[in-house]
Amino acid sequence: MRFTIAREKLQEALTNVAPAVPAKTTLPVLANILVEANERGVRFSGTDLDVAVSIEVPADVEVPGALTLPAKRLGEITRELPPAPVKIAALGEQRATLECGRTKFKLLGLPRDEYPAFAPVEFNTGWRVKSSVLHELISRTAFAVSTEESRPILNGVLWEVRDKLLRMVATNGHRLALMESPVEVGPGATGDFIVPPRALDQVRRVFPPEEEIEIGKGENHLAFRSPIASVSTRLIEGPYPNYDQVIPRDNDRFAIVDRPSLVSALRRMSVVASDQTHRVKLSFNTALLKFTVQTPDVGEGQDEIPVQYTGDALDIGFNSSYLLEILRYMPSDEVRFTFKTAERAATLLPENWAGPGKYVCLVMPLRLVD
Amino acid sequence: MPPPRILLADADAFFVAVARMVDPAGAGKAPLLIVGGTRESRGVVCSASYEARQYGVRSAMPIARALKLCPKATCVPVPMKACGKVSREIRSVLMRYAPVVEASSIDEWYMDLGGTEAIYHNESLRATAHRIRSAVKEATGFSVSIGGGTNRLIAKLAVERGKPKPATTADGVHVVEPGDEGSFVSTFALADLPMVGPKFQERLAALGLRTVPDVLARDVVTLRRQLGTNAADWLWERVHGIAGAEVEGRGAPKSMSRDETFPVDLVTDEDLERELLRLVTRVASDLRQGGYAARTITVKLRDNDFRTRSARLTLADPVVTDRVIMSVATELLHKLRRSRRMPARLIGVALSSLADDPGADQLGLFAAEDPLQETERDLTIARAVDRVRERFGSRGIVPGALIE
Repeated sequence: MRFTIAREKLQEALTNVAPAVPAKTTLPVLANILVEANERGVRFSGTDLDVAVSIEVPADVEVPGALTLPAKRLGEITRELPPAPVKIAALGEQRATLECGRTKFKLLGLPRDEYPAFAPVEFNTGWRVKSSVLHELISRTAFAVSTEESRPILNGVLWEVRDKLLRMVATNGHRLALMESPVEVGPGATGDFIVPPRALDQVRRVFPPEEEIEIGKGENHLAFRSPIASVSTRLIEGPYPNYDQVIPRDNDRFAIVDRPSLVSALRRMSVVASDQTHRVKLSFNTALLKFTVQTPDVGEGQDEIPVQYTGDALDIGFNSSYLLEILRYMPSDEVRFTFKTAERAATLLPENWAGPGKYVCLVMPLRLVD
Repeated sequence: MPPPRILLADADAFFVAVARMVDPAGAGKAPLLIVGGTRESRGVVCSASYEARQYGVRSAMPIARALKLCPKATCVPVPMKACGKVSREIRSVLMRYAPVVEASSIDEWYMDLGGTEAIYHNESLRATAHRIRSAVKEATGFSVSIGGGTNRLIAKLAVERGKPKPATTADGVHVVEPGDEGSFVSTFALADLPMVGPKFQERLAALGLRTVPDVLARDVVTLRRQLGTNAADWLWERVHGIAGAEVEGRGAPKSMSRDETFPVDLVTDEDLERELLRLVTRVASDLRQGGYAARTITVKLRDNDFRTRSARLTLADPVVTDRVIMSVATELLHKLRRSRRMPARLIGVALSSLADDPGADQLGLFAAEDPLQETERDLTIARAVDRVRERFGSRGIVPGALIE
């Protein structure tokens, strides 16, 4: 293997692939990046066995071939190189030289054969989607996934792929975000997939919004590819909880709230809320929303903002950090809250939002025990 | 600012003294006394009388080995309830004299007497320590030794010098004057310093370091190269008598745990599960009595080759009920047993990540379908069980599986 590559191209490829390389691993070859030179250019790949990323960049390939090189060192060297073409050449199966201007390195790697093969994925589903659509769905839902190990299924984002619709749902069991967008999908692609959010981060990083992405399915994998890049991920297995059943449909109290004022008030109240439960009491009245916090050993806080409220007066407790998180991802300046009782799920919806599809967030109250 | 005034009170041969109090005819008459379990038990020595210690008996040693060293010793179990009672009595006396008292174990209390100079009419810290020592003896009948100095390390080392052991002239109090910390510490071996355990001692000895002066003769740069920066800096501060002086009053507990060493190794999963249920029943009851809820559940297993393993799980929501804690603990036990199936000599369960705000109860979206979420029914059962125990004691109601 021998090729010459522009320093910026090498840097770009490594920046994209490096986040897929695990920081700690029991399998030494996974700390390396797979470098494959072919007639089109050079492909760089990294994986932690769950998520894999590869990028192909143009290069002047003299001799095709492949080997693996240590990801961290290769990245650090590239960052410090002078702006000149970089020549990389294999010396046998597991060593390579790197030359740039008058700078020379010899790096120890591992043979290509030791690198794990990527799971086979079929791209004949006819499923193509604009990257920006995925970006939006991911960014408005993935924040809600659980980080707890006790229910691994909730550590993923549920993708429901229907005939003309892509719906993403994420929840930690206390709050939930759901977004759907009209998408043209071939019949071969429909199904439910639970995707680890780490893979979705890579999708957002690797594919620019304007790019068209092709999505393929494997036995237990989902893969995304553009002409130059690909991301593939193992899926989380198991039945996702019946989220549809918990979406309230009979909430009969409504409030329209100005999002920036609500965020400011909640942030102020959070200062004196419990570090663990972040509990804040919200009292809705015809034209006023009152906030009350009482935390033993800390202190108290009160605040109020004007709202439009329809329904009987309501006192309801919430974890303020759940509300703040949801409000951060709400795409509109006004938010519609709906409630049934102080023990039932509340919903938050964007008000006067012109976006395609539908967006709804749920949050369960904190029962206030006196 | 005046120098810190830290005292450490250490109850003399605490478990031995309490054992003699509860059993004056047996333990009270035996000079060679080992507290920790009966002769046949497989427990470890919790404490031994000064006379027995002269045979080489040390705490944490298996009783069988202690008896080989000192065959004539009388062995008695730890009188746990009485120990707790005496400990609380001593503590309440100390609280009359010191504004901040921190129990660092059942028989050791740190006291911060900072700012009390005027209250004690500027008498020396040594005089105040004697005053406290006499008060404890008078009120409880138990002796404490007191060490004092400008920080916790000095107080801890000083109390050992203060103990009125046979063949010493110590009178129960040893106070190191401010400024004398360095010269005081330089009279110790490194093994005497808290936290310098056998492994660290070995490493130090390999470098020719056995006593505090051995370390003082080196420079910190060399030490850092030989021990690594963290260990070297830590040791360097200790040998110069530098350490923290913060004494914390009683804070909220960080965890609650129960464990049990079996009289005979347990082999089957069923037997281990039954013991686990026994412990979960007790620790969950402790948890609720304390008004806490826990998110992290840890199960510990010690195999018969003394290898100790543990597994833990942190839940999304804090829990209090036997059902959820037991179902998580059972799963953790199975996980430990799957990875290594040996006869076991000890099992333990600990609850941690304790919730500080039991007044708020986060409701769940999927409570009905998640077996690890507590339902109203779980909570009602727990409350009913607690009420029965309040009236009839901890054995007033037990799980059916534990009835023999």
